[in-house]
Amino acid sequence: MSEKKGRGSRKSDRAAAAVAAELKEKRDAFLQSFFKRGAELSDELMQENRRLREQMGKIEAENTELRTQLASDRAIRDLLKKIDQLEREKARLLSTVSEQEEITGQITNRFAQVEGDLESFANLYVASFQLHLSLRLRTVLRHIKELLQQLVGARSLAVYFADEEGRRLVPIASEGVELASIATVLLHDGGDGDPVSAVIERTFLTGVPHITEGPVASVPAACIPLQIEDRVVGAIVVFGLLAQKVEFVTVDRELFKLLGAHAGATLVAAYLYTSGDGRLPAPEALRSLLG
Amino acid sequence: MSAPPYSCLVVEDSPMMRQLLVLALSRVKNLRVTEADDGVDGLRKLAGGKFDIIITDINMPIMDGLKLVKRVRTDPTHKDVPIIIITTEGSNEDRKRALELGANAYITKPIQAPQVIAKVKELLKIEA
Repeated sequence: MSEKKGRGSRKSDRAAAAVAAELKEKRDAFLQSFFKRGAELSDELMQENRRLREQMGKIEAENTELRTQLASDRAIRDLLKKIDQLEREKARLLSTVSEQEEITGQITNRFAQVEGDLESFANLYVASFQLHLSLRLRTVLRHIKELLQQLVGARSLAVYFADEEGRRLVPIASEGVELASIATVLLHDGGDGDPVSAVIERTFLTGVPHITEGPVASVPAACIPLQIEDRVVGAIVVFGLLAQKVEFVTVDRELFKLLGAHAGATLVAAYLYTSGDGRLPAPEALRSLLG
Repeated sequence: MSAPPYSCLVVEDSPMMRQLLVLALSRVKNLRVTEADDGVDGLRKLAGGKFDIIITDINMPIMDGLKLVKRVRTDPTHKDVPIIIITTEGSNEDRKRALELGANAYITKPIQAPQVIAKVKELLKIEA
């Protein structure tokens, strides 16, 4: 029995060993499969990790790009803002330049005006100075003629004086034309058809100067009434101008005004002084006239 | 006080024109003006001093402006002095003749002061 028991026991041992072996085999297979699966999972995880890293890299790159773009956008915005500021500054400067140009233009005009005035004053000063420099009739007439020639540019001219009755205007001096060839102008007779005489007569009777506007083409170029206070006593007639003198300018009109107002009185004073042989009035005579 | 560095001789028989020219030239800084009433008087003044520029009329008694120009151009002391002619003679022949004789500029009357001043400054090389 114990033999039997022994045989049985050996049998069961073999079975147990077979089971154990089978179990071991199963365990080994399981472990092998487990580790294989683990390795596969690790691989997958590694791959996923790599993929995620790559994705993260891409996202980071995109992020950087976006940041750069954002910074660039900011820079552009700043630049646009700066451009806008500069545009405003440019507009302000242009406006200032325009204002300055306008001011410069005004100053230039004013300067030209002052230059013109200065020239006018200089001519008037010299004319007035020379006109009243002498009381000799011949000298006064010479100065009047010279003034018209040198300062105005008259080529031919005559000075007329009215007779006591106011019926005739008689030429008393001339330049550039023979005195003998100049006709006396008869006043109040309706004119003899001569246009020059007509202008002289009209100027004398109305007291209104005749001064050609624009380029001088007709004769006389100018006719200026000589006045003593409100009385017209004669006329200065400019028949023609020097070739280079095309038209009258402002300063000429001012000189005509001066001559019209002063030359008549100067001529009368010079006549009285010259005919009195330069004798001066006695103080008593002056006082009696004032009294 | 030192003398002005530039001196100008104005030769003109008309006292009125002389006065006007002197008045105009008084606006040029550092310019001393001497007056002469005809060509001979002009030569006399030239002999007595040194001038940087001459302004002369043409039609004058005793010696006219063109003769004066001729004389100045043969005078070793003043032969290079610039000369401005100021005259009523406005024809091209007169202008040509004056310039051929040695005048440097030709201005016709009636004068305009700024024109004379500008020409004097130009010939004396004075900045405007």
